[in-house]
Amino acid sequence: MHRWFDETALDSSVVLYSRIRLVRNWEEYPFSLCLSDAEGEEMVKHLFQYTEDFKTPDGLPFQRLWLNQLSGLERQALRERHILNSSLLERKAPMGALLSKDESISMIFNGNDHIRIQVMAPGLQLAKAYEVADRLDDRLNQKISYAFDEKYGYLTSFPTNVGTGLHAMALLHLPSLSKGKRFTNLIGEMGRFGTTVRGLNGEERENFGDLYMISNQKTLGQSEKEMVDLVNRVAFQLAEQEKQVRDMYRSNHRISLENEVYKSYGILKYARRLSIKEAMLYLSQVLMGTSEGILKMQTPCSVYRIMLGIQSANLKQLSDRPLDKAELEIARANYIREELPELF
Amino acid sequence: MLCERCKMREANIKYTEVINGIKTEHNLCAQCAKEMDFGPYSAMFDGEFPLEKLLSDLLGISRESREESQTSGIVCPTCKTSYDTFVEKSCFGCQDCYSVFDPLIRDNIKKLQGSSQHVGKIPKFQKAGLAKQEREDSKVGGQLSREKQIIFWQAKLKEALQVEDYEEAAACRDEIRRLQESENRQEAKEIQGKETKQNEVQENEGKDKEIRQEDGADA
Repeated sequence: MHRWFDETALDSSVVLYSRIRLVRNWEEYPFSLCLSDAEGEEMVKHLFQYTEDFKTPDGLPFQRLWLNQLSGLERQALRERHILNSSLLERKAPMGALLSKDESISMIFNGNDHIRIQVMAPGLQLAKAYEVADRLDDRLNQKISYAFDEKYGYLTSFPTNVGTGLHAMALLHLPSLSKGKRFTNLIGEMGRFGTTVRGLNGEERENFGDLYMISNQKTLGQSEKEMVDLVNRVAFQLAEQEKQVRDMYRSNHRISLENEVYKSYGILKYARRLSIKEAMLYLSQVLMGTSEGILKMQTPCSVYRIMLGIQSANLKQLSDRPLDKAELEIARANYIREELPELF
Repeated sequence: MLCERCKMREANIKYTEVINGIKTEHNLCAQCAKEMDFGPYSAMFDGEFPLEKLLSDLLGISRESREESQTSGIVCPTCKTSYDTFVEKSCFGCQDCYSVFDPLIRDNIKKLQGSSQHVGKIPKFQKAGLAKQEREDSKVGGQLSREKQIIFWQAKLKEALQVEDYEEAAACRDEIRRLQESENRQEAKEIQGKETKQNEVQENEGKDKEIRQEDGADA
Protein backbone atom coordinates (compact mmCIF):
# COMPACT_ATOMS: atom_id res chain seq x y z
CA MET A 1 0.00 0.00 0.00
CA HIS A 2 1.26 3.47 -0.80
CA ARG A 3 1.68 5.59 2.31
CA TRP A 4 2.60 9.22 2.76
CA PHE A 5 6.06 8.44 4.11
CA ASP A 6 7.04 6.66 0.89
CA GLU A 7 7.75 10.14 -0.41
CA THR A 8 9.96 11.25 2.48
CA ALA A 9 13.55 12.07 1.83
CA LEU A 10 13.24 11.48 -1.87
CA ASP A 11 13.95 15.15 -2.29
CA SER A 12 14.13 16.60 1.23
CA SER A 13 17.56 15.94 2.62
CA VAL A 14 17.35 17.02 6.24
CA VAL A 15 13.70 17.66 7.11
CA LEU A 16 11.96 14.32 6.78
CA TYR A 17 8.41 15.34 7.45
CA SER A 18 6.09 17.93 8.97
CA ARG A 19 3.17 17.19 11.22
CA ILE A 20 0.25 19.29 12.45
CA ARG A 21 -2.00 18.23 15.30
CA LEU A 22 -5.18 20.05 16.30
CA VAL A 23 -7.03 19.14 19.47
CA ARG A 24 -10.75 19.92 19.85
CA ASN A 25 -13.60 19.05 22.18
CA TRP A 26 -17.34 18.88 21.53
CA GLU A 27 -19.13 21.18 23.93
CA GLU A 28 -22.01 18.77 24.53
CA TYR A 29 -19.95 16.13 26.28
CA PRO A 30 -17.61 16.18 29.29
CA PHE A 31 -13.98 15.65 28.26
CA SER A 32 -12.97 12.15 27.18
CA LEU A 33 -11.28 11.05 30.40
CA CYS A 34 -14.53 11.76 32.31
CA LEU A 35 -16.81 9.96 29.85
CA SER A 36 -18.28 6.54 30.55
CA ASP A 37 -17.76 3.86 27.90
CA ALA A 38 -21.40 4.12 26.82
CA GLU A 39 -21.21 7.91 26.44
CA GLY A 40 -17.89 7.61 24.65
CA GLU A 41 -19.28 5.08 22.20
CA GLU A 42 -22.33 7.24 21.54
CA MET A 43 -20.14 10.27 20.90
CA VAL A 44 -17.79 8.40 18.55
CA LYS A 45 -20.82 7.06 16.63
CA HIS A 46 -22.14 10.61 16.22
CA LEU A 47 -18.73 11.83 15.11
CA PHE A 48 -18.49 9.00 12.55
CA GLN A 49 -21.92 9.99 11.30
CA TYR A 50 -21.02 13.68 11.01
CA THR A 51 -17.80 12.90 9.15
CA GLU A 52 -19.41 10.40 6.80
CA ASP A 53 -19.12 12.62 3.72
CA PHE A 54 -15.61 13.88 4.55
CA LYS A 55 -13.10 13.46 1.74
CA THR A 56 -9.34 13.94 1.57
CA PRO A 57 -8.05 16.88 -0.54
CA ASP A 58 -7.70 14.46 -3.48
CA GLY A 59 -11.35 13.46 -3.14
CA LEU A 60 -10.77 10.04 -1.59
CA PRO A 61 -12.92 8.67 1.23
CA PHE A 62 -11.58 7.99 4.73
CA GLN A 63 -11.23 4.59 6.31
CA ARG A 64 -13.11 4.18 9.63
CA LEU A 65 -11.73 2.15 12.52
CA TRP A 66 -12.78 1.33 16.06
CA LEU A 67 -9.38 1.41 17.72
CA ASN A 68 -10.55 -0.46 20.82
CA GLN A 69 -11.41 -3.44 18.61
CA LEU A 70 -7.88 -3.74 17.25
CA SER A 71 -5.32 -6.13 18.72
CA GLY A 72 -2.46 -4.81 20.83
CA LEU A 73 -0.05 -5.50 17.99
CA GLU A 74 -2.13 -3.60 15.45
CA ARG A 75 -2.28 -0.64 17.79
CA GLN A 76 1.45 -0.80 18.41
CA ALA A 77 2.03 -0.76 14.65
CA LEU A 78 -0.22 2.31 14.36
CA ARG A 79 1.87 3.94 17.04
CA GLU A 80 5.07 3.19 15.18
CA ARG A 81 3.55 4.84 12.13
CA HIS A 82 2.74 7.88 14.34
CA ILE A 83 -1.05 7.57 14.11
CA LEU A 84 -1.45 6.82 17.81
CA ASN A 85 0.64 8.23 20.60
CA SER A 86 1.91 6.08 23.42
CA SER A 87 -0.60 7.41 25.96
CA LEU A 88 -3.47 6.03 23.86
CA LEU A 89 -1.90 2.63 23.42
CA GLU A 90 -3.34 1.24 26.64
CA ARG A 91 -6.62 3.15 26.58
CA LYS A 92 -9.56 0.73 26.80
CA ALA A 93 -12.42 3.18 26.17
CA PRO A 94 -14.19 3.25 22.78
CA MET A 95 -11.97 5.17 20.38
CA GLY A 96 -12.60 5.85 16.72
CA ALA A 97 -10.23 6.78 13.94
CA LEU A 98 -10.60 8.23 10.50
CA LEU A 99 -7.66 7.43 8.26
CA SER A 100 -6.89 8.60 4.76
CA LYS A 101 -5.65 5.83 2.51
CA ASP A 102 -2.02 6.94 2.64
CA GLU A 103 -2.39 7.68 6.39
CA SER A 104 -1.23 11.27 5.98
CA ILE A 105 -4.51 12.57 7.40
CA SER A 106 -6.06 11.07 10.48
CA MET A 107 -8.65 11.96 13.07
CA ILE A 108 -8.80 10.23 16.45
CA PHE A 109 -12.11 10.39 18.32
CA ASN A 110 -12.34 10.05 22.09
CA GLY A 111 -8.60 9.78 22.71
CA ASN A 112 -7.28 12.14 25.37
CA ASP A 113 -9.59 14.73 23.81
CA HIS A 114 -12.75 14.27 21.77
CA ILE A 115 -11.12 15.05 18.46
CA ARG A 116 -7.51 15.07 17.34
CA ILE A 117 -6.86 16.03 13.75
CA GLN A 118 -3.44 15.10 12.40
CA VAL A 119 -1.93 15.97 9.05
CA MET A 120 1.53 14.81 7.93
CA ALA A 121 3.47 15.84 4.87
CA PRO A 122 6.94 14.92 3.61
CA GLY A 123 9.61 17.64 3.84
CA LEU A 124 9.15 21.03 5.47
CA GLN A 125 5.52 21.82 4.63
CA LEU A 126 4.02 22.92 7.91
CA ALA A 127 1.95 25.74 6.46
CA LYS A 128 0.43 23.48 3.84
CA ALA A 129 -0.31 20.76 6.39
CA TYR A 130 -1.93 23.33 8.68
CA GLU A 131 -4.17 24.48 5.86
CA VAL A 132 -5.49 20.95 5.39
CA ALA A 133 -6.04 20.52 9.14
CA ASP A 134 -7.70 23.94 9.37
CA ARG A 135 -10.18 23.08 6.62
CA LEU A 136 -11.10 19.78 8.28
CA ASP A 137 -11.51 21.62 11.57
CA ASP A 138 -13.93 24.11 9.98
CA ARG A 139 -15.92 21.37 8.29
CA LEU A 140 -16.40 19.50 11.53
CA ASN A 141 -17.24 22.76 13.29
CA GLN A 142 -20.13 23.18 10.84
CA LYS A 143 -21.64 20.06 12.37
CA ILE A 144 -20.75 20.44 16.04
CA SER A 145 -19.94 23.29 18.42
CA TYR A 146 -16.57 23.22 20.11
CA ALA A 147 -15.73 23.82 23.75
CA PHE A 148 -14.37 27.34 23.43
CA ASP A 149 -13.70 30.21 25.78
CA GLU A 150 -12.88 33.77 24.79
CA LYS A 151 -10.02 33.94 27.25
CA TYR A 152 -8.54 30.44 27.08
CA GLY A 153 -9.45 29.63 23.48
CA TYR A 154 -10.15 26.01 22.60
CA LEU A 155 -10.59 24.11 25.86
CA THR A 156 -8.76 20.82 26.17
CA SER A 157 -8.33 18.02 28.72
CA PHE A 158 -4.76 19.01 29.45
CA PRO A 159 -3.69 22.58 30.17
CA THR A 160 -0.67 21.97 27.94
CA ASN A 161 -2.89 22.07 24.82
CA VAL A 162 -5.30 24.86 25.75
CA GLY A 163 -5.60 27.87 23.45
CA THR A 164 -5.02 26.95 19.85
CA GLY A 165 -4.82 23.21 20.58
CA LEU A 166 -2.11 23.22 17.95
CA HIS A 167 1.13 21.29 17.86
CA ALA A 168 3.32 21.86 14.86
CA MET A 169 6.25 19.48 14.50
CA ALA A 170 9.05 18.87 12.04
CA LEU A 171 11.21 15.74 12.08
CA LEU A 172 14.85 16.44 11.26
CA HIS A 173 17.71 14.10 10.50
CA LEU A 174 20.78 15.63 12.12
CA PRO A 175 23.61 13.07 12.01
CA SER A 176 26.42 15.61 11.64
CA LEU A 177 25.15 18.44 13.80
CA SER A 178 24.32 16.13 16.71
CA LYS A 179 27.92 14.88 16.85
CA GLY A 180 29.19 18.35 17.67
CA LYS A 181 29.95 19.36 21.25
CA ARG A 182 27.77 22.42 21.05
CA PHE A 183 24.65 20.49 20.10
CA THR A 184 23.31 20.14 23.65
CA ASN A 185 23.67 23.89 24.13
CA LEU A 186 21.99 24.50 20.82
CA ILE A 187 19.00 22.42 21.90
CA GLY A 188 18.81 24.43 25.11
CA GLU A 189 18.87 27.66 23.11
CA MET A 190 15.87 26.51 21.10
CA GLY A 191 13.82 26.59 24.29
CA ARG A 192 14.29 30.34 24.44
CA PHE A 193 12.43 30.73 21.17
CA GLY A 194 9.52 28.69 22.47
CA THR A 195 10.34 25.48 20.67
CA THR A 196 11.43 22.12 22.02
CA VAL A 197 13.86 19.72 20.40
CA ARG A 198 13.56 16.07 21.37
CA GLY A 199 15.12 12.86 20.12
CA LEU A 200 12.58 10.67 18.36
CA ASN A 201 13.80 7.46 19.93
CA GLY A 202 15.10 8.76 23.25
CA GLU A 203 17.47 11.32 24.63
CA GLU A 204 20.94 12.27 23.43
CA ARG A 205 23.18 9.21 23.07
CA GLU A 206 20.26 6.83 23.16
CA ASN A 207 18.71 8.47 20.15
CA PHE A 208 19.74 5.95 17.49
CA GLY A 209 19.06 7.21 14.02
CA ASP A 210 19.76 10.88 14.84
CA LEU A 211 16.15 11.89 14.30
CA TYR A 212 14.96 14.97 16.18
CA MET A 213 11.51 16.45 16.61
CA ILE A 214 11.16 20.23 16.69
CA SER A 215 7.82 21.49 17.97
CA ASN A 216 6.14 24.49 19.58
CA GLN A 217 6.31 24.55 23.35
CA LYS A 218 3.26 26.69 24.03
CA THR A 219 -0.26 26.64 22.66
CA LEU A 220 -1.67 29.83 24.18
CA GLY A 221 -0.97 33.50 23.53
CA GLN A 222 0.11 33.22 19.91
CA SER A 223 -1.84 32.79 16.72
CA GLU A 224 -1.71 29.52 14.78
CA LYS A 225 0.21 31.23 12.01
CA GLU A 226 2.86 32.53 14.42
CA MET A 227 3.32 29.07 15.93
CA VAL A 228 3.60 27.37 12.56
CA ASP A 229 6.04 30.05 11.37
CA LEU A 230 8.16 29.69 14.49
CA VAL A 231 8.61 25.93 14.16
CA ASN A 232 9.16 26.40 10.45
CA ARG A 233 11.89 28.96 11.06
CA VAL A 234 13.69 26.95 13.73
CA ALA A 235 13.52 23.75 11.67
CA PHE A 236 14.84 25.60 8.65
CA GLN A 237 17.72 27.10 10.65
CA LEU A 238 18.72 23.74 12.09
CA ALA A 239 18.50 22.14 8.65
CA GLU A 240 20.74 24.86 7.23
CA GLN A 241 23.30 24.35 9.99
CA GLU A 242 23.25 20.60 9.44
CA LYS A 243 23.89 21.17 5.74
CA GLN A 244 26.81 23.49 6.52
CA VAL A 245 28.43 20.95 8.82
CA ARG A 246 27.92 18.23 6.23
CA ASP A 247 29.45 20.36 3.48
CA MET A 248 32.44 21.13 5.65
CA TYR A 249 32.90 17.49 6.57
CA ARG A 250 32.56 16.43 2.98
CA SER A 251 35.13 18.86 1.66
CA ASN A 252 37.67 18.09 4.40
CA HIS A 253 37.10 14.40 5.03
CA ARG A 254 35.53 13.07 1.89
CA ILE A 255 37.05 9.61 2.12
CA SER A 256 36.07 8.98 5.73
CA LEU A 257 32.53 10.15 5.03
CA GLU A 258 32.25 7.87 2.03
CA ASN A 259 33.80 5.06 4.03
CA GLU A 260 31.20 5.37 6.80
CA VAL A 261 28.31 5.53 4.37
CA TYR A 262 29.41 2.62 2.18
CA LYS A 263 30.33 0.49 5.18
CA SER A 264 26.87 1.05 6.65
CA TYR A 265 25.24 0.19 3.34
CA GLY A 266 27.33 -2.97 3.11
CA ILE A 267 26.39 -4.13 6.59
CA LEU A 268 22.70 -3.49 5.99
CA LYS A 269 22.78 -5.21 2.63
CA TYR A 270 24.53 -8.35 3.82
CA ALA A 271 23.84 -8.75 7.53
CA ARG A 272 21.77 -11.74 8.60
CA ARG A 273 20.76 -10.43 12.03
CA LEU A 274 20.27 -6.81 13.10
CA SER A 275 19.19 -5.26 16.40
CA ILE A 276 17.05 -2.14 16.22
CA LYS A 277 19.94 -0.05 17.53
CA GLU A 278 22.41 -1.25 14.88
CA ALA A 279 19.87 -0.99 12.11
CA MET A 280 18.93 2.58 13.02
CA LEU A 281 22.59 3.64 13.29
CA TYR A 282 23.45 2.29 9.84
CA LEU A 283 20.22 3.48 8.25
CA SER A 284 21.01 6.95 9.54
CA GLN A 285 24.34 6.84 7.69
CA VAL A 286 22.69 5.52 4.53
CA LEU A 287 20.03 8.22 4.73
CA MET A 288 22.77 10.84 4.87
CA GLY A 289 24.60 9.08 2.04
CA THR A 290 21.59 9.20 -0.25
CA SER A 291 20.72 12.80 0.50
CA GLU A 292 24.35 13.85 -0.04
CA GLY A 293 24.42 12.05 -3.36
CA ILE A 294 27.15 9.62 -2.29
CA LEU A 295 24.94 6.56 -2.62
CA LYS A 296 23.01 6.30 -5.85
CA MET A 297 20.22 3.76 -5.61
CA GLN A 298 18.95 2.01 -8.72
CA THR A 299 15.35 2.64 -7.72
CA PRO A 300 14.16 5.61 -5.65
CA CYS A 301 13.90 4.59 -2.00
CA SER A 302 12.71 6.30 1.16
CA VAL A 303 15.13 5.30 3.89
CA TYR A 304 12.74 6.72 6.45
CA ARG A 305 10.11 4.24 5.28
CA ILE A 306 12.58 1.44 6.06
CA MET A 307 13.22 3.01 9.47
CA LEU A 308 9.50 2.75 10.19
CA GLY A 309 9.28 -0.71 8.67
CA ILE A 310 11.95 -2.29 10.89
CA GLN A 311 10.22 -1.37 14.16
CA SER A 312 9.32 -4.45 16.18
CA ALA A 313 5.51 -4.35 15.97
CA ASN A 314 5.53 -3.83 12.24
CA LEU A 315 7.85 -6.80 11.68
CA LYS A 316 5.72 -8.93 13.97
CA GLN A 317 2.65 -7.88 12.04
CA LEU A 318 4.26 -8.87 8.76
CA SER A 319 5.12 -12.29 10.09
CA ASP A 320 2.48 -15.03 10.15
CA ARG A 321 3.62 -16.35 13.53
CA PRO A 322 4.94 -14.91 16.82
CA LEU A 323 8.65 -14.01 16.75
CA ASP A 324 11.18 -14.22 19.56
CA LYS A 325 14.11 -11.81 19.88
CA ALA A 326 16.53 -13.68 17.64
CA GLU A 327 13.86 -14.31 15.00
CA LEU A 328 12.91 -10.67 15.12
CA GLU A 329 16.50 -9.64 14.41
CA ILE A 330 16.63 -12.08 11.50
CA ALA A 331 13.31 -10.74 10.17
CA ARG A 332 14.69 -7.21 10.45
CA ALA A 333 17.80 -8.04 8.46
CA ASN A 334 15.68 -9.82 5.82
CA TYR A 335 13.35 -6.84 5.58
CA ILE A 336 16.23 -4.41 5.05
CA ARG A 337 17.93 -6.66 2.48
CA GLU A 338 14.74 -6.82 0.50
CA GLU A 339 13.85 -3.16 0.74
CA LEU A 340 17.26 -1.58 0.19
CA PRO A 341 17.80 -1.19 -3.58
CA GLU A 342 21.05 -2.07 -5.34
CA LEU A 343 23.54 0.71 -6.04
CA PHE A 344 24.58 1.93 -9.46
CA MET B 1 33.35 2.26 37.95
CA LEU B 2 31.87 0.10 40.71
CA CYS B 3 29.74 1.43 43.50
CA GLU B 4 31.96 2.25 46.49
CA ARG B 5 29.41 0.96 48.97
CA CYS B 6 28.39 -2.45 47.65
CA LYS B 7 31.31 -2.86 45.21
CA MET B 8 29.06 -5.03 43.08
CA ARG B 9 27.02 -2.83 40.80
CA GLU B 10 28.01 -0.14 38.35
CA ALA B 11 28.05 3.31 39.99
CA ASN B 12 25.73 5.68 38.16
CA ILE B 13 25.17 8.37 40.78
CA LYS B 14 27.84 10.88 41.68
CA TYR B 15 27.26 12.50 45.03
CA THR B 16 29.39 15.47 46.03
CA GLU B 17 29.36 16.54 49.64
CA VAL B 18 30.81 19.83 50.87
CA ILE B 19 31.19 20.10 54.63
CA ASN B 20 33.02 23.15 56.02
CA GLY B 21 34.67 23.71 52.67
CA ILE B 22 35.99 20.14 52.44
CA LYS B 23 34.74 18.46 49.31
CA THR B 24 34.29 14.68 49.17
CA GLU B 25 32.97 12.73 46.24
CA HIS B 26 31.07 9.45 46.35
CA ASN B 27 30.18 7.15 43.48
CA LEU B 28 27.15 5.01 44.20
CA CYS B 29 24.74 2.72 42.43
CA ALA B 30 21.04 3.58 42.38
CA GLN B 31 20.19 0.89 44.91
CA CYS B 32 22.72 2.04 47.52
CA ALA B 33 21.79 5.64 46.91
CA LYS B 34 18.21 4.73 47.68
CA GLU B 35 19.25 3.13 50.97
CA MET B 36 21.31 6.10 52.08
CA ASP B 37 19.75 9.18 53.56
CA PHE B 38 20.00 12.24 51.32
CA GLY B 39 17.30 14.23 53.04
CA PRO B 40 14.92 15.86 50.58
CA TYR B 41 16.78 14.40 47.59
CA SER B 42 16.18 10.78 48.48
CA ALA B 43 12.75 10.91 46.83
CA MET B 44 14.60 11.14 43.53
CA PHE B 45 15.78 7.55 43.80
CA ASP B 46 12.40 6.10 44.69
CA GLY B 47 11.27 4.27 41.62
CA GLU B 48 10.58 6.18 38.45
CA PHE B 49 10.58 9.93 38.27
CA PRO B 50 7.02 11.08 38.85
CA LEU B 51 6.36 13.19 35.77
CA GLU B 52 2.70 13.56 36.62
CA LYS B 53 3.62 15.00 39.98
CA LEU B 54 6.02 17.44 38.42
CA LEU B 55 3.26 18.90 36.29
CA SER B 56 0.70 18.90 39.07
CA ASP B 57 3.09 20.70 41.39
CA LEU B 58 3.54 23.25 38.67
CA LEU B 59 -0.22 23.63 38.33
CA GLY B 60 -1.34 23.47 41.91
CA ILE B 61 -0.21 25.43 44.88
CA SER B 62 2.12 23.53 47.17
CA ARG B 63 0.62 20.62 49.05
CA GLU B 64 0.89 22.05 52.57
CA SER B 65 -0.64 25.39 51.77
CA ARG B 66 -3.42 23.63 49.91
CA GLU B 67 -4.35 21.52 52.89
CA GLU B 68 -4.68 24.58 55.06
CA SER B 69 -6.70 26.65 52.64
CA GLN B 70 -10.28 26.03 51.70
CA THR B 71 -9.68 25.45 48.02
CA SER B 72 -9.81 21.68 48.24
CA GLY B 73 -13.59 21.78 48.65
CA ILE B 74 -14.16 23.28 45.22
CA VAL B 75 -15.87 20.85 42.88
CA CYS B 76 -16.94 21.43 39.28
CA PRO B 77 -20.76 21.20 39.32
CA THR B 78 -20.91 19.72 35.81
CA CYS B 79 -18.46 16.83 35.90
CA LYS B 80 -17.85 16.59 39.68
CA THR B 81 -14.08 16.89 39.28
CA SER B 82 -12.65 18.31 42.48
CA TYR B 83 -9.74 20.73 42.51
CA ASP B 84 -7.64 18.10 44.26
CA THR B 85 -8.29 15.55 41.52
CA PHE B 86 -7.40 18.16 38.95
CA VAL B 87 -4.10 18.94 40.64
CA GLU B 88 -3.31 15.26 41.00
CA LYS B 89 -3.99 14.32 37.38
CA SER B 90 -3.35 17.76 35.82
CA CYS B 91 -6.33 17.08 33.61
CA PHE B 92 -9.68 18.86 33.32
CA GLY B 93 -12.94 16.90 33.40
CA CYS B 94 -15.09 19.15 31.25
CA GLN B 95 -15.13 22.60 29.72
CA ASP B 96 -16.82 24.14 32.78
CA CYS B 97 -13.82 23.17 34.93
CA TYR B 98 -11.98 26.05 33.30
CA SER B 99 -14.41 28.66 34.64
CA VAL B 100 -14.86 26.95 38.02
CA PHE B 101 -11.13 26.60 38.70
CA ASP B 102 -10.19 29.77 36.86
CA PRO B 103 -9.18 31.87 39.90
CA LEU B 104 -7.05 28.96 41.16
CA ILE B 105 -5.27 28.10 37.95
CA ARG B 106 -5.04 31.50 36.27
CA ASP B 107 -1.49 32.21 37.43
CA ASN B 108 -0.27 28.70 36.81
CA ILE B 109 -1.60 28.55 33.29
CA LYS B 110 0.18 31.80 32.67
CA LYS B 111 3.36 30.28 34.04
CA LEU B 112 2.95 27.16 31.93
CA GLN B 113 1.93 28.85 28.70
CA GLY B 114 3.57 32.25 29.08
CA SER B 115 0.22 33.91 28.45
CA SER B 116 -3.37 33.66 29.57
CA GLN B 117 -5.10 35.16 26.58
CA HIS B 118 -6.01 33.26 23.45
CA VAL B 119 -5.25 35.25 20.30
CA GLY B 120 -5.63 32.56 17.67
CA LYS B 121 -8.48 31.11 15.68
CA ILE B 122 -12.07 31.51 16.77
CA PRO B 123 -14.55 28.79 15.78
CA LYS B 124 -16.55 30.05 12.82
CA PHE B 125 -19.67 27.96 13.11
CA GLN B 126 -20.61 27.73 16.78
CA LYS B 127 -24.30 26.92 16.45
CA ALA B 128 -26.81 28.67 18.67
CA GLY B 129 -28.96 25.56 18.58
CA LEU B 130 -30.92 23.74 21.22
CA ALA B 131 -27.91 22.37 23.01
CA LYS B 132 -26.44 25.84 23.48
CA GLN B 133 -29.75 27.22 24.74
CA GLU B 134 -29.94 24.47 27.34
CA ARG B 135 -26.46 25.31 28.50
CA GLU B 136 -27.29 28.99 28.80
CA ASP B 137 -30.36 28.08 30.85
CA SER B 138 -28.42 25.91 33.23
CA LYS B 139 -25.91 28.65 34.06
CA VAL B 140 -27.18 28.61 37.65
CA GLY B 141 -24.02 26.61 38.23
CA GLY B 142 -22.13 29.83 37.58
CA GLN B 143 -23.60 31.40 40.70
CA LEU B 144 -22.50 28.52 42.84
CA SER B 145 -18.99 28.93 41.57
CA ARG B 146 -19.10 32.66 42.28
CA GLU B 147 -19.78 32.02 45.95
CA LYS B 148 -17.00 29.49 45.98
CA GLN B 149 -14.81 32.00 44.25
CA ILE B 150 -15.39 34.54 47.00
CA ILE B 151 -14.56 31.90 49.61
CA PHE B 152 -11.40 31.10 47.72
CA TRP B 153 -10.27 34.69 47.46
CA GLN B 154 -10.98 35.28 51.13
CA ALA B 155 -8.77 32.30 51.97
CA LYS B 156 -6.09 33.58 49.67
CA LEU B 157 -6.32 37.05 51.21
CA LYS B 158 -5.78 35.53 54.63
CA GLU B 159 -2.76 33.60 53.39
CA ALA B 160 -1.31 36.72 51.81
CA LEU B 161 -1.74 38.70 55.01
CA GLN B 162 -0.02 35.96 57.00
CA VAL B 163 3.08 36.16 54.85
CA GLU B 164 2.76 39.96 54.67
CA ASP B 165 2.46 40.01 50.91
CA TYR B 166 0.40 43.19 50.75
CA GLU B 167 0.47 43.50 47.00
CA GLU B 168 -1.15 40.09 46.68
CA ALA B 169 -3.58 40.93 49.49
CA ALA B 170 -4.73 44.08 47.70
CA ALA B 171 -5.30 42.10 44.51
CA CYS B 172 -7.38 39.58 46.47
CA ARG B 173 -9.41 42.32 48.08
CA ASP B 174 -10.16 43.88 44.68
CA GLU B 175 -11.20 40.51 43.31
CA ILE B 176 -13.60 39.92 46.21
CA ARG B 177 -15.06 43.39 45.76
CA ARG B 178 -15.50 42.81 42.04
CA LEU B 179 -17.28 39.51 42.60
CA GLN B 180 -19.56 40.95 45.24
CA GLU B 181 -20.42 43.93 43.06
CA SER B 182 -21.19 41.78 40.06
CA GLU B 183 -23.41 39.66 42.29
CA ASN B 184 -25.36 42.72 43.37
CA ARG B 185 -25.63 43.92 39.79
CA GLN B 186 -26.99 40.56 38.70
CA GLU B 187 -29.68 40.67 41.38
CA ALA B 188 -30.72 44.18 40.37
CA LYS B 189 -30.86 43.10 36.75
CA GLU B 190 -33.06 40.16 37.59
CA ILE B 191 -35.66 42.36 39.24
CA GLN B 192 -35.53 44.78 36.33
CA GLY B 193 -35.74 41.88 33.88
CA LYS B 194 -38.95 40.61 35.42
CA GLU B 195 -40.59 44.00 35.05
CA THR B 196 -39.57 44.25 31.41
CA LYS B 197 -40.98 40.82 30.81
CA GLN B 198 -44.38 41.83 32.08
CA ASN B 199 -44.47 45.01 30.03
CA GLU B 200 -43.20 43.77 26.73
CA VAL B 201 -44.45 40.36 25.92
CA GLN B 202 -43.78 40.37 22.22
CA GLU B 203 -40.16 40.92 21.50
CA ASN B 204 -37.62 39.91 18.92
CA GLU B 205 -35.76 36.63 19.22
CA GLY B 206 -32.57 38.00 20.71
CA LYS B 207 -34.26 39.64 23.65
CA ASP B 208 -36.52 36.69 24.14
CA LYS B 209 -33.48 34.56 24.73
CA GLU B 210 -32.10 36.97 27.29
CA ILE B 211 -35.29 36.82 29.33
CA ARG B 212 -35.36 33.07 29.17
CA GLN B 213 -31.85 33.04 30.48
CA GLU B 214 -32.83 35.21 33.43
CA ASP B 215 -35.77 32.89 34.03
CA GLY B 216 -33.29 30.09 34.31
CA ALA B 217 -31.21 31.99 36.81
CA ASP B 218 -34.35 32.79 38.73
CA ALA B 219 -35.40 29.17 39.05
